[in-house]
Amino acid sequence: MDKELEHSFVTELQDNQNIVHKVCTLYTNDKESHNDLFQEITIQLWKAYPKFRGEAKFSTWMYRVALNTAITLYRKSKRRIDTQDYESVIFKIKADEYDETEEQQLKLMYKAVRQLGDIDKALVFMYLEDKNYTEIAETLGITEVNARVKMNRIKTKLRTILNP
Amino acid sequence: MTDELDLLKRDWQKKEVNLPKLSYSDIHKMIWKKSSSIVKWILIISILEFALPHLLYLLPSMQEGMEVYRKIGVSKYLFWASVITYAVIFYFIFQFYQRFKEISVLDSSKNLMRKIIRTRRTVKHYVIFSLSMVLVNVLIMVVGIALSDSVLSAFPELKDKLGHISPDNLKVTLMLSVGIFGIVLTFFMGGVYFLLYGLLLRKLHKNYRELKQLEL
Repeated sequence: MDKELEHSFVTELQDNQNIVHKVCTLYTNDKESHNDLFQEITIQLWKAYPKFRGEAKFSTWMYRVALNTAITLYRKSKRRIDTQDYESVIFKIKADEYDETEEQQLKLMYKAVRQLGDIDKALVFMYLEDKNYTEIAETLGITEVNARVKMNRIKTKLRTILNP
Repeated sequence: MTDELDLLKRDWQKKEVNLPKLSYSDIHKMIWKKSSSIVKWILIISILEFALPHLLYLLPSMQEGMEVYRKIGVSKYLFWASVITYAVIFYFIFQFYQRFKEISVLDSSKNLMRKIIRTRRTVKHYVIFSLSMVLVNVLIMVVGIALSDSVLSAFPELKDKLGHISPDNLKVTLMLSVGIFGIVLTFFMGGVYFLLYGLLLRKLHKNYRELKQLEL
């Protein structure tokens, strides 16, 4: 029974690992912390897995656990500013895919998003993942109205970071 | 800005191909690793806080100390003080266990944070209570010394050295040293405790405040 549970968990996580990697990319600055956070999220997912029992989609359930781990449970919050642009390693920006201004703009946007606080990042992350405000509000435990208000504030904040 | 965020959204979804790919065995290995979440740290620190003061009584020097209490005639009061202390400690452990059990990673972020803070508050109350009990014990000691007729007999090893000091002076000196030592120790322990938790939960408090503020 346990072996079966283990197998189905690892398989599902393997199929959906992108979600966790993306959370790690947003919340950490270097490869070591990325792996560290990935591991902690995996442990938390595994511990909660017996309670999951297919009630929701595996991926929906993952968003909540992954974000909760990154925002609340993860202990190390190394605020190291890396000399190397980490997202350019993970998200290799391919020059030929964009025209130059767009590429420049995207780079700046990624950088600005990474400067946001933990909660703001969570909202942006779910927004980028195409989650609706109901889901964003439920995950964070705030009302839908407040989620929208917060998102608007984040947009203003990003604008200030981009055009100081 | 909305356009820029949407531009980012399109790009974000395209970039999945560049993310790391972990194998089945990589992930399988991870599920048996030990968690280092703050919830786990709170549990470890709390167990230490509940256990440490009681382990101290096992030290031989502490048992000698109990002998001193007996000799200056305060052991009766200390006995009742510890009965009450233990009753309250069991209540705290029970409450801690109840609250700790409620912490779930499946909750919404705000609820998760609220429950962690509530659990920690139980520990905080416990620590304030134990430190107050230390102060009460110190007070009992000081009063005991004041009322005792044979302070010196409680400290046989000091008899030769202190024999020449008048008993009244000795009493005052002992009361002051016990009192000051007790107070300094209590504040030191309290300081270490609040510093430890302050650092551990700084991030959590900040994020919780941010979510709470939205409600105003």
